[in-house]
Amino acid sequence: MSDLEITVDGFIVEAAAGWSLSWLDRDAGIARLTDGTRSEMCLVEGSGSDWVVTLRGRRIPVTVRSWRERVLADAESATRQAGGPVVIRATLPGLVVGVAVEDGAEVGEGTILLTIEAMKMQNEVRAPRAGRVTSISVMAGHTVVAGASLLRIE
Amino acid sequence: MRKDEADPDPPFRRLLVANRGEIAVRVLRACHELGIETVAVYSDADVDALHTRLADRAERIGPAPAAQSYLDIDAVIAAAHRSGAEAIHPGYGFLSENAAFARAVEQAGLVFVGPPAETLASLGDKLAARRAVAAAGVPIVPGLLVPLVPGASGEVAAEVAAVGFPGLVKAAAGGGGRGMRRVDRADQLAAVLEGAGREALAAFGDGTLYFERLIAPARHVEVQLLGDRHGNLAALGERECSVQRRHQKLVEEAPSAAVTPRTRERLAEDARRVAGTVAFHNAATVEFLLDADGSHYFLEMNTRLQVEHGVTELVTGLDLVAWQIRVAAGERLPDAVLANELRGHAIEVRIYAEDPHRDFAPVAGKVTAWRMPAGPGVRVDAGVEAAAPLPIEYDPLLAKLLVHADDRPAALARLRRALDETIVGGVQTDLSFLRWLVDEPGFAAGAYDTGLVAARWAGGPDLADDQRSLAARGALEARLGADAAPTAAPRSTGTQPASAWAARARAEAVSRRPSR
Repeated sequence: MSDLEITVDGFIVEAAAGWSLSWLDRDAGIARLTDGTRSEMCLVEGSGSDWVVTLRGRRIPVTVRSWRERVLADAESATRQAGGPVVIRATLPGLVVGVAVEDGAEVGEGTILLTIEAMKMQNEVRAPRAGRVTSISVMAGHTVVAGASLLRIE
Repeated sequence: MRKDEADPDPPFRRLLVANRGEIAVRVLRACHELGIETVAVYSDADVDALHTRLADRAERIGPAPAAQSYLDIDAVIAAAHRSGAEAIHPGYGFLSENAAFARAVEQAGLVFVGPPAETLASLGDKLAARRAVAAAGVPIVPGLLVPLVPGASGEVAAEVAAVGFPGLVKAAAGGGGRGMRRVDRADQLAAVLEGAGREALAAFGDGTLYFERLIAPARHVEVQLLGDRHGNLAALGERECSVQRRHQKLVEEAPSAAVTPRTRERLAEDARRVAGTVAFHNAATVEFLLDADGSHYFLEMNTRLQVEHGVTELVTGLDLVAWQIRVAAGERLPDAVLANELRGHAIEVRIYAEDPHRDFAPVAGKVTAWRMPAGPGVRVDAGVEAAAPLPIEYDPLLAKLLVHADDRPAALARLRRALDETIVGGVQTDLSFLRWLVDEPGFAAGAYDTGLVAARWAGGPDLADDQRSLAARGALEARLGADAAPTAAPRSTGTQPASAWAARARAEAVSRRPSR
């Protein structure tokens, strides 16, 4: 049919044989998957090679890539591999309620770096790997947006 | 609501709803049915929110942070004066159990839809409530009757050790699980007190803590009370709320599968006794823990509407919000309420913007697709209607889905069907957990306790192969469709109407659009 490769969680997956998709609301992404005897409502969102399919309430990221897109993506991830500095970003928008480390501090993997309050919950941000803290760009009382750079670990 | 269509003699002429989200919408609907004009209040984050649009009139009360808007007593009272409201319904959360607010409402010459301010003041201190309830002869969870003082470590440690581990540190001013921490060993106490105290201070402005023994396994059951200003008190059966994460409820049902008719009577009797310790009218909930032997222990009393009031409405056929408003206006509860009989089985699930596969962490973003179920025995209480950004300042509750049927198996089948019709896009929600729960053998059998989520979900099952291949099928066909017709996607905005009928409809829609 084509050279499209489908991956879920990094594993190559074959599309379910005998099933087909029909749109209930194309603009909203609401669709029905059916094999003629069973059917499930689902939500399909995305474009290009990146899709999210929601089945029974669970969002499942799916990559659908051509050979050419695969080669480009592999080249990009190879340059990211080499153990360079890691930028710690806010995964949620919220209020920084405390910064637990200072510039230049050596931290181990799992060390609590800072605490961000979002939706009335305090979330601890931990070091993903050991290293030295640099470029702290927030302090207690700052409001941050999702994706905001908080500090770097080198 | 036009006056000529309404009840000729509504309890109030105009009422202000001091809340947001689904509960504000719920109260507005009750008012409109009673013929009461409504006033909504909104922060800058809620200019276009459903509750803001649904009310007859809306008053801005401040910027997005709750402390400067929905928690600002002066701003809410000023909005009530500006709009000519006679009464204020506080909903749940925010100012609903704030004695200073209730007092300010009374002093402003308005009616607070809730208990007297002094009742809130005495119940707001959970520790004082424990003492009063124990004195009334109702069993309480074993624990300290005095506050824990961080710093005075030696004495505190000895008192806590005498109660026994594992235990729970709780906030005296608390609720909703905030400021609550589990303690398994004496050497954890100091750190726990510090963290819980900080959280309690931030959430309630009061860092006072106390200690209770952990009852496990336990089931969480609560009795709904409704009282008028003339001394009549109705106990409207129990709800079970044992499906919890972080000590916060996810699913509620009525009646409880764990409660026998005899236990039901004893729970109702003790709930009345608890209510008797304070000057009480309006709606309240008395929470108990049931241990493995079926013994019950008082946890706390909340003198406000609960999130989960809807399951009681379904099994009693009563509109609790309407009755709150009517008793606030001085009406007597009739026999139909006082001698109410329960019918069938109801289950509520809460749809939260939370990722159950990542420890139920709140998620931010925008809801892109929104399709709620309908049909027999299905009720949806939602604070959103369609695609909407999620304000990060507030609780991540999106909607409550409730079902009612003749018995528990039928209610479960109805819930499964309703969940299969439900779609929320753009953000992960707990719908995946809820859909799993319906088929979880222990839950399906009614044999579960407050440890269910931790013991049986634990992040959820791995993706099954058939789910991966189904998702792959969906994404593949979506991509092939998009690649084949790159210009087809925005067809709904195309300029060529398919027919003269469509052209006419479009012209009418445009001419009807209000100009601002």
